[in-house]
Amino acid sequence: MSRSIIHLNIADFAVAVESNIQPSLKGYPLVIAPLGAPRAVVYDMSDEAYKEGIRKGMALARAKRINKKIKILPPSFNRYERVMKDLLKQTFAFTPLIESGTSDGHIFLDVTGSGRLFGPSVDVAFKLKKAFKKTFNFDPIWSVATNKLVAKVATRVVKPVGEYIVAPGDEKAFLAPLPLNLIPGLIKKDLTKFFEFNLFFISQARVLTLEQLKIPFHFRAPLIYDWIRGIDPTPVTTLCENLSIISFDHEFSDDTNTADLLKRALYLMVEKTCKTLRNRRLTGGVTKIILSYSDGLQTTSRLKLVPPTSNDMAMFKKCIPLLNKAWTRRVRIRHMRLTCEKLCQGAIQADLFSTGTKETKQGELILAMDKINEKFGKNSIKAGLTIKVKNEG
Amino acid sequence: MTKKPCLACKLFVGTSGYSYGEWIDSGFYPSGTHSSDMLDFYTRIFHATELNYTWYQMPKAPAIERMCTKVPKNFKFAAKLTRTMTHEIKKGQWTKQVMLFRQGIEPLIQSQKLLCILIQLPPYFERSINFRNYLAALLDELAGLPVAVEFRHDSWANDKVFSELERRKVTLVSVDEPDLPSLFPPLDVVTNPDLFYVRFHGRNSKGWRSGNMQKQFDYDYAQRELEKWAATIKTTMMAQAAAGGIFFNNHVRGQAPKNALRLIDLLLKDYHLQKT
Repeated sequence: MSRSIIHLNIADFAVAVESNIQPSLKGYPLVIAPLGAPRAVVYDMSDEAYKEGIRKGMALARAKRINKKIKILPPSFNRYERVMKDLLKQTFAFTPLIESGTSDGHIFLDVTGSGRLFGPSVDVAFKLKKAFKKTFNFDPIWSVATNKLVAKVATRVVKPVGEYIVAPGDEKAFLAPLPLNLIPGLIKKDLTKFFEFNLFFISQARVLTLEQLKIPFHFRAPLIYDWIRGIDPTPVTTLCENLSIISFDHEFSDDTNTADLLKRALYLMVEKTCKTLRNRRLTGGVTKIILSYSDGLQTTSRLKLVPPTSNDMAMFKKCIPLLNKAWTRRVRIRHMRLTCEKLCQGAIQADLFSTGTKETKQGELILAMDKINEKFGKNSIKAGLTIKVKNEG
Repeated sequence: MTKKPCLACKLFVGTSGYSYGEWIDSGFYPSGTHSSDMLDFYTRIFHATELNYTWYQMPKAPAIERMCTKVPKNFKFAAKLTRTMTHEIKKGQWTKQVMLFRQGIEPLIQSQKLLCILIQLPPYFERSINFRNYLAALLDELAGLPVAVEFRHDSWANDKVFSELERRKVTLVSVDEPDLPSLFPPLDVVTNPDLFYVRFHGRNSKGWRSGNMQKQFDYDYAQRELEKWAATIKTTMMAQAAAGGIFFNNHVRGQAPKNALRLIDLLLKDYHLQKT
C-alpha cells in the first residue's frame, strides 16, 4: 500500500507569527529583517509585500526603495521556534511520524498507519487545519500525497491559501504541466542547466533519459530523474529521533560578525549544555553548530566528540574549530544554536590510579564551580570568557 | 397491496469513497493492493461511487478527466459539493465557487459519468429563512445539473420542502443514520422521477457526535435491517424513479462494501424471481 503524507505549510511563517501578535499588521506590506544591521537582507515578507516585488534575500535598502511606507520588524527566531513547537504538539496527537523545520512553518506527517484510528488522511489534514486556525489563528495550506516531494509541490501550487489532494497514482500527471522550479531539491544551478537546454516544464525534462541527464547533472542525475517523475522514497523523519538531543540558542541583540562575541555566546551555550549533561549523568557524543545569518540563510557544522564529554572546557575547545567551520559567510550572524546529540552514560567509576591530567583537573574545577553556584546562587562564579567588557556590544 | 418494483429502474449501488487502506485488512481489496489500483479493483465489483474528496477540495477538471479514463463506460460518480458551498459559505463568494465546481466536474458531464451532485448540508443548517433562501439560490445556481440534497436537521422533514424539491426535480436523499434528536429521519420520499438516492451512514449513536469518523461510521448492518430497506427500495422507491443511487458510508473496517454487496444480493433475489 502506498503512503499517506500530509504537508502543512503556514505561508510566510515569520510574518504570520508577528501578525498574530500585532493584528494591526494584517493586510499591510510587512518585511521581517534585522533593523540595526548594515547590508541587512529580507528574511521574510507578507504576501502584500511580495506582490509589490519584495523577495526573500533582497537587500533591505532595496525593499525600502520599492515601498517607503513598508513596515519592518526584526526577526525573532526563538519566538518562531516556540510557536513551531506548539504546532507540533497538536500534530503529535495523530501520528508520531512528524518532520518539521525548526521555524519555517512546514510540517510533514506520515499518517499511513493511523488510518484505522483517525480515519482517512484528508480528514486528518482538514482537522489539523481547523485546529491550527482555532488555536493559533493560522490558516495553513495543506496537501495529501503519497510522498513528501509531491505533497510539497502541491502546497506550492496553491500558495498562499488552499489545499491539494493528489490521488495515489496521479503523481506523474499532476507534476507534468508544472514549471521545474516547483520541484524541491532542484537548486539554482540545476535550473540554470535545464533552462540552457530550453527545458522549463517538468513534462519537457522527462523526455531526457537517465543517461542523458547524467551528462549535465553527473551523480545527481538519478535523484533528479526520480524527482521529475514524482518518486521520493525518503521517509518522514520521526520526532523520536530528536528526543535525545540537548539544544541551546543564542540570539544576538544586533546582528554581529565579531569573533569575541560569538565565542562568548558559544561558551555560554557549552556551559549550559554540559551542566544539563552532568545533571543527567550523561556525556555528549556529537555536537552541532547552526548559524543563522541576517538574510535567513543557515550554515551547519557537526563534530563527533571522542571521547564523549560533559566537560565545559574540553567541549569548548572542540567547538571553536567547529564554529570556524560553520562560519563561512561574511554576512552578519543573528542567531546561533548548539546541539548535543548521541547522549550516552558517563563513566560511573573513576580511574583507580588517577594520573592527574589536565582534563581531570579541569573536571575537578568544573565540579567545584558547580558546587559554588549551587551554594551561593547562579553565576556566583563564572568563566572569564563569559564576563562582558565595558563598552562591548 | 404492495407495489411491484419497476424493472426499468437502474440501480447504482456502491460506497462513499473507495480508497481506504483498512479495506485491505478487511479482505475487500486483495493483500498488497496499491492505493492507485483500488479504483480499478472497485469498478470490477460496483458500478458507482461517491467522490468524498470533492467536499474537501474543489474538483479539478484535469484530475477528474484522468479518473474518468480509469473506469468502465457505464460507471457513475456522485460528486459531493465542496464545503465552501455547504459548511463554510462566504457571502458574496459562493457563486464563484459554484462556477468553479461546475468547471471542475465538467469531464464527468461530458463523459456521462455524473450520477448527481450530492449536497450534504451540516447539522446546524436548520430550516430558517436565511438557510431557505440560501438553498433556493444554490439550487438555482446548479440548475440543469442532477442534484441530490441531504439534510442533517429534522426541521426539513416537511411536506412543503418535499413539494418544492419535486417542483425543481431535485432528489431528496433518504438517510439511514442513528435515531438521535434533531437528526433527519429515515424517509422513503421520492421527489425526483429521474433519481432516488439512499445513504447508509450506520446507526452508531454512541460514536455519531464523537468527532472521529472511525467511531461515527463504525456500524455493521444486520440482515433484517438490510432486508427492510431492500423491501422499501423495491416496493416504494424503484417504482417512482428511473434510477436510484444507494451508497454505504459505514466505511470503517470494510463494513460498507460488505453491506453493499449484501443489499445487492437482496435486491437481485426478487428481481430474478420477478423476471422469471
